[in-house]
Amino acid sequence: MPGPDKETDLTERIEAFLFDLNRGGSGAGPLRGSAETARETTALLRRITAQARWSSAGDLMEIIRNEGRRMTAAQPSETTVGNMIRRVLKIIREEYARSRGSSEEADQQESLHKLLTSGGVSDENFRQPFAALKPNVIEAINELLTELEGTTDNIAMQALEHIHSNEVIMTIGRSRTVEAFLKDAARKRKFHVIVAECAPFCQGHEMATSLSKAGIETTVITDAAIFAVMSRVNKVIIGTQTVLANGGLRAVNGTHTLALAAKHHSTPLIVCAPMFKLSPQVRRLSFLSDFYRYCEILSKVNVHCPVFDYVPPELITLFISNIGGHAPSYIYRLMSELYHPEDHEL
Amino acid sequence: REKQLVEYFRAQMRKDPDMASAVAAIRTLLEFLKRDKGETILGLRESLKWATDCLTGEDSSVAVSSGGELFLRFISLTSLEHQDLSRCKKVMEERGELFLEKISMSRTKVAKLCHTFIKDGAKILTHSYSRVVLRVLEKAAAEKKRFSVYVTESQPDSAGRQMAEALRKLNVPVTVVLDAAVGYVLEKVDLVIVGAEGVVESGGIINKIGTYQMAVCSKAHNKPFYVVAESFKFVRLYPLNQQDVPDKFKYKADTLKTVQNLSEEHPMIDYTPPSLITLLFTDLGVLTPSAVSDELIKLYL
Repeated sequence: MPGPDKETDLTERIEAFLFDLNRGGSGAGPLRGSAETARETTALLRRITAQARWSSAGDLMEIIRNEGRRMTAAQPSETTVGNMIRRVLKIIREEYARSRGSSEEADQQESLHKLLTSGGVSDENFRQPFAALKPNVIEAINELLTELEGTTDNIAMQALEHIHSNEVIMTIGRSRTVEAFLKDAARKRKFHVIVAECAPFCQGHEMATSLSKAGIETTVITDAAIFAVMSRVNKVIIGTQTVLANGGLRAVNGTHTLALAAKHHSTPLIVCAPMFKLSPQVRRLSFLSDFYRYCEILSKVNVHCPVFDYVPPELITLFISNIGGHAPSYIYRLMSELYHPEDHEL
Repeated sequence: REKQLVEYFRAQMRKDPDMASAVAAIRTLLEFLKRDKGETILGLRESLKWATDCLTGEDSSVAVSSGGELFLRFISLTSLEHQDLSRCKKVMEERGELFLEKISMSRTKVAKLCHTFIKDGAKILTHSYSRVVLRVLEKAAAEKKRFSVYVTESQPDSAGRQMAEALRKLNVPVTVVLDAAVGYVLEKVDLVIVGAEGVVESGGIINKIGTYQMAVCSKAHNKPFYVVAESFKFVRLYPLNQQDVPDKFKYKADTLKTVQNLSEEHPMIDYTPPSLITLLFTDLGVLTPSAVSDELIKLYL
């Protein structure tokens, strides 16, 4: 029977995805970039929309929220999963509002204006069933997938405006976005790149090899040499794991040092981050407890190996995303366009 | 008529000392609206403006002024939808009650957002007596977090001691420090949380005198400076420095009425620019200072 088969197929796929996420975090499974994770999450959500049993938008949102909670619990450091879930939830809300015929999509946000003018209890419980909702939502998710596929190219297209001839650019570790960005600029300009190796995983080495294969003059330096070399650098271009709601970053360890050195020398710090990395979380005074991985090599020695750094928004000059360049103080606005406030906590 | 109005306002403040002065002002204005015998919407607006002026004459804080302006805006927006006065008044009364209900929940919303930023073992510095900060700390204590608080004495009215009393009742370890000791104590502190009497368009705040000092010191020590405020405190002012804040907010209402030479008086409030503020916690969400002007634009334009 097609019914139960589809459901078991769906649950199997979700379980496989969760398993992969879990393994990927502990380093045992396939290391995937965040773009792939985002794409796979969105494809899975599209499958859930198509195959799961739901009759109204409210039901679908509940299902997605539940699955979403499980996915984020499987790998909390991979924030793109949560971001994609929130995007899809916002898509569902918009399509529902459109089906109901209400023209005020912007009315969904809390604001002083809304406080004053709302006539009654504005509880949308999304219970009305609409036949056209399913195909509309699936079409919107397809548009989201197309957007995701084009992000790296969109960012790389802006490279020529920011990189000029004979410049010295510094970067850290390995970021696929920055790699594409630099390679695109290298087609028309000649410049020099300095890569900080980013111990202990030393992803900087792979980045340097890849860039030099594209014909870019590259130098690898140790993390300790960042400050010393900074005086000769014109621009710092980095990628990041997550962009936080206050305009700060959660990026690979060593980025905060790089940012402080750049601030000291008044070197502009440019962050290339696609929109799916934007997360509604704000950095709390975390004492870095969520950023650590512990490695015990000797019995009496504990080695603290932080995976990520927090970079405050004051150190960042510009964000380059697939929709253009923005100042860190503008990030809150992009957030309100991508996510609905009620979805901030899944 | 003026005396009746002021009496009602004072009664509201006395009845519930925990209520924000802006909420009391809005309640008074709503009552005034209900009792108003005017025949035209324009007349209604005029009398409401007069009522707001009376109230600011009684309590010159920024919050009362912003509450009054918000109410006036509320009237204008509603009157645009309904042309007929009696129908309009009915709608206004309904919405007014709803509005009051919503804003009485705002402190709870703020507390819910902010308490997660207080970690176990945190040392918090706060300034003077703020009911919103008290509510946030109450919520954090209810979530079984252990933290300790330093409160500045906040002269000239020693409001900080009131805050310390309230915190002791919650079994929170609290120390009262001199206003001059802010720089001294900041190295021990993990975060600074203050309330606000008004949030201005630039994202800065107007608060009890001494707040600006605290903000400058926390910036120097690299400690996060958080502001907790309800959204009805957003006011359409854009001061560029301390002198730009209008005199009518700086001094108490009685002082303004009686004293001739204001330059001899000590101001009760100061302005903290947005560059010193890390985040603002409001019932509209966690905002960066740059997001505040967006909210105000959405309302007033």
